[in-house]
Amino acid sequence: MAEPQPAAIQEGAAEPHAPTGSAEDRKAAAALSSLDAPTQDDDAAGKKNVDSKALGEAMKGLSVKEHAGDEKKKVVKIEASDVSLLASELEIPKQKATDLLRASDGNVLQAISSFITP
Amino acid sequence: MPQPLPAKEGSLFRQLVKFYESKQHKKGIKAADQILKKHPNHGDTQAMKALILNSQGHGEEAFALCKLALKNDMKSHVCWHVYGLLWRSVKNYEEAVKAYKFALRIEPDSQNILRDLALLQCQIRDFDGYIESRKKILNARSQLRQNWTGLAIAYHLKGNYKEAIHILTTYEETLKQPPSKADLEHSEAVLYKNTIIAESGDVEGALTHLEGVMKANLDKTAVLELKAKYLQQLDRTEEAAKVYGALLDRNSDYRAYYDGLEKALGLDKSDAASIEKLTELYEGYASKNERSDAPRRIPLDFLKGDAFKAAADQYLRQMLNKGVPSTFPNIKALYADPDKKATIEELVLGYASEKAVANGSAEGETVPASRFEDSVLYFLAQHYTYVRSRNLEKAMEYIERLIEKDPKSVDYNQIKARIWKNYGDTQKAADTINHARELDLKDRYINTKCAKYQLRNNENDKALDTMSKFTRNEAVGGPLGDLHDMQCMWFLLEDGEAYLRRGNVALALKRFTSIADIFEVWQEDQFDFHSFSLRKGQIRAYIDMVRWEDHLRDHPFFTRAALSAVKLYLKLYDNPDIAQGRNEELDRLDPSERKKALKKLQREQEKAKKAEADRKAAAQAKATPKADDSDQKKEDTDPKGEKLLQTKEPLEVAMRFLTPLLELSPRNIEGQDLGFQVYLRREKPLLALKCILDTKDLDPEHPSVHKNAVLFRHHLNNLKEALPESVAEAIKQSFTSPPADADIAALKAANDDYIKEHSESPSHLQAAYDVRQQLDAASKPQNETDLQNVLQLDGIGFDQASAGIKLLYEWKSDANVVEAYREAAAKKFPQATRFLKK
Repeated sequence: MAEPQPAAIQEGAAEPHAPTGSAEDRKAAAALSSLDAPTQDDDAAGKKNVDSKALGEAMKGLSVKEHAGDEKKKVVKIEASDVSLLASELEIPKQKATDLLRASDGNVLQAISSFITP
Repeated sequence: MPQPLPAKEGSLFRQLVKFYESKQHKKGIKAADQILKKHPNHGDTQAMKALILNSQGHGEEAFALCKLALKNDMKSHVCWHVYGLLWRSVKNYEEAVKAYKFALRIEPDSQNILRDLALLQCQIRDFDGYIESRKKILNARSQLRQNWTGLAIAYHLKGNYKEAIHILTTYEETLKQPPSKADLEHSEAVLYKNTIIAESGDVEGALTHLEGVMKANLDKTAVLELKAKYLQQLDRTEEAAKVYGALLDRNSDYRAYYDGLEKALGLDKSDAASIEKLTELYEGYASKNERSDAPRRIPLDFLKGDAFKAAADQYLRQMLNKGVPSTFPNIKALYADPDKKATIEELVLGYASEKAVANGSAEGETVPASRFEDSVLYFLAQHYTYVRSRNLEKAMEYIERLIEKDPKSVDYNQIKARIWKNYGDTQKAADTINHARELDLKDRYINTKCAKYQLRNNENDKALDTMSKFTRNEAVGGPLGDLHDMQCMWFLLEDGEAYLRRGNVALALKRFTSIADIFEVWQEDQFDFHSFSLRKGQIRAYIDMVRWEDHLRDHPFFTRAALSAVKLYLKLYDNPDIAQGRNEELDRLDPSERKKALKKLQREQEKAKKAEADRKAAAQAKATPKADDSDQKKEDTDPKGEKLLQTKEPLEVAMRFLTPLLELSPRNIEGQDLGFQVYLRREKPLLALKCILDTKDLDPEHPSVHKNAVLFRHHLNNLKEALPESVAEAIKQSFTSPPADADIAALKAANDDYIKEHSESPSHLQAAYDVRQQLDAASKPQNETDLQNVLQLDGIGFDQASAGIKLLYEWKSDANVVEAYREAAAKKFPQATRFLKK
């Protein structure tokens, strides 16, 4: 038997609402919290005007296009020591330091000065 | 390995899930325990129990249990999913993403996990990942329109306009018949597509697309606004003017439409040639709509000379006759032009001397004559309070005349308080506005103003008491707790700044940190909207929100809190003793007295602590257990901010404020100055230099450029360790003034030149004296004398005078020197409370 899926584990709904007094308040709070929950007419609304055949075709068209746009990255030799120097001196993530160096063709001085000059 | 449950426990488990969803935590725990009694190592149940524990606020327990669950059942997607949710709840998004991905590997088709992962990726702006997840979601359920829109959003945010448009178009093409006219989701999606087309730079295409859909679209205003914008961008000005005309017929008080119309007609307010046509244009709109303000007020911006006088006369008379209270605030922007300021002053003074009888309104209505007279006096009182036209004595005279006529007016008393404030007399200002507040206890505006004035007068407790008249006082933490819940940031800021002035560093820090926390909450708040907006189909507003979140912390409140907090952390770093409750004033006492004072301080602290503990014990004894424990909010464990103050690494903590400040408000010079100071102390010369260069770029004449440049050179000259080669080289290239070979003598000489050059500017002089002090401690006596002489300059305001006192504290000057300075300042600003002898 497959385990039942915890169906409505809702992101963002985990925070409890403010303490509520009367039964009416609680009802209102419940209504509020269910605002974000998927309702059944989501599905129904989706179906009424849907041509499943056309959708099927459309989905195919979608997957064909995916392989088209691969760009080639510029090949630049970047020293690991330069990356860590920049990351620590400029307090930026290593990824950003690498990008910075790549943009300056691996030249540390140029990378630094492009970063610090306004 | 999966752990199947027998039928009875299986249904119990489903119940457990239901209980969690409906937030019946106690019942949920009970059900979980029931299952665990028979199957103590059932991973899924343990995970669910952990989830419930977490939402009850037992975070650590939850983590321990969830780890146990994972050990028992490594192959369960429920366990991994819960593990991810736990990480998410402590805002460790990287770990959460990892856990979700594990869960997905086990159960690739789970829509819930996929959705949670997607939302998280959007939250951390991992758009590549977001696109992938959105594609999977769409593959699983392509019949739902929102899944198509969701993928388009992902591409759009990534900047891939072409794909985004393609996705939306593909979906539209599958529709059998055009959606009904009332289909809001469709209408919004179409406009959303239109904005993407425009953003991709294809204005022509956007216009064509818009014209195809505009008839059926529900958001008429947006359609017209977009059309006008596109036409204007395409230089089809005549058509654009027509559309702006249509928009103005819908709303003739919206300035942006007038601006658009002017541009479309090729008119320019600053160009004398178009003034005539502009006048005609606005007269046309003014006559079309008698009650409309904009077409009457806007001409005052561009008219000059006699034409201005006539128009201003007409405008002012109408407003003052009606007794519009906001007349002055509406006019004061014109004071930037000295001629207009003079003209308005002349006009209104003329009204004041007119006989009241002469002012029957044009329509022949019977207006009480005194209304015009009162409005004129009220206008004049505000006129002489305003900074560009300040004459506080006259202002006081006018406001006194009004108060004599109507002593019960809240407005008049409020202006009186403002006059005292501008005198610098915070005490009288607070008293006066409190009197105004008492005239109308139900007026929340004046109540709020009153609290602010009390804070400016350093009366924190009184201000909180005033605020409590309008807060929910049964909230956890009382009025202050409610102000936190309501994110009442102005109060927290002013409260913090008042504590800072009083020398209560801990509480000040506490308040500034609260502000930073609130911004974190704002960032967190967007989470719900990643799914909510999609479901409701309000995509354009959602995109605006996502982009706004990216520069959230350029908000003025954050900037103010950050500036104060960073200053505080700098002080804390330079003088760690502050954390022990000592302050500069104590340092000035002689040793035996200081010892006594310190002991007294300690005794007081202990006493306060004991009282606090008693209060808590009493509160605990009184508190009855609440119905649902999950609703209880945690009490603040550090209400006084003492733990915050004890930080071992003040500069590292300061980065929480400084980084967003420099990144998002780079045009704030004070921020750059503080950035320099922090980076210099943290030995990050390149970043310190960046702050100097940025300041120079913003305002080359700003005193902090000179100060920081000299200090930076001085710092470089005295390095203990050599900098890495490339760093030194980069500094050599970008930092040339003062020159690299400038030794201490040359720096001193440069500074002396600077003093001569700026002998009339208080802020430049103060900066230069500070430099001289830091270069050469022996020059202190001269600096102190010179600093006091700055007070005699004409241009000095009391904020600059206060800055002098702060400098003296920084230099650790003698108590009698500070006292002499204070006395001199008090002589210069006799009304200012802050220079009074304590």
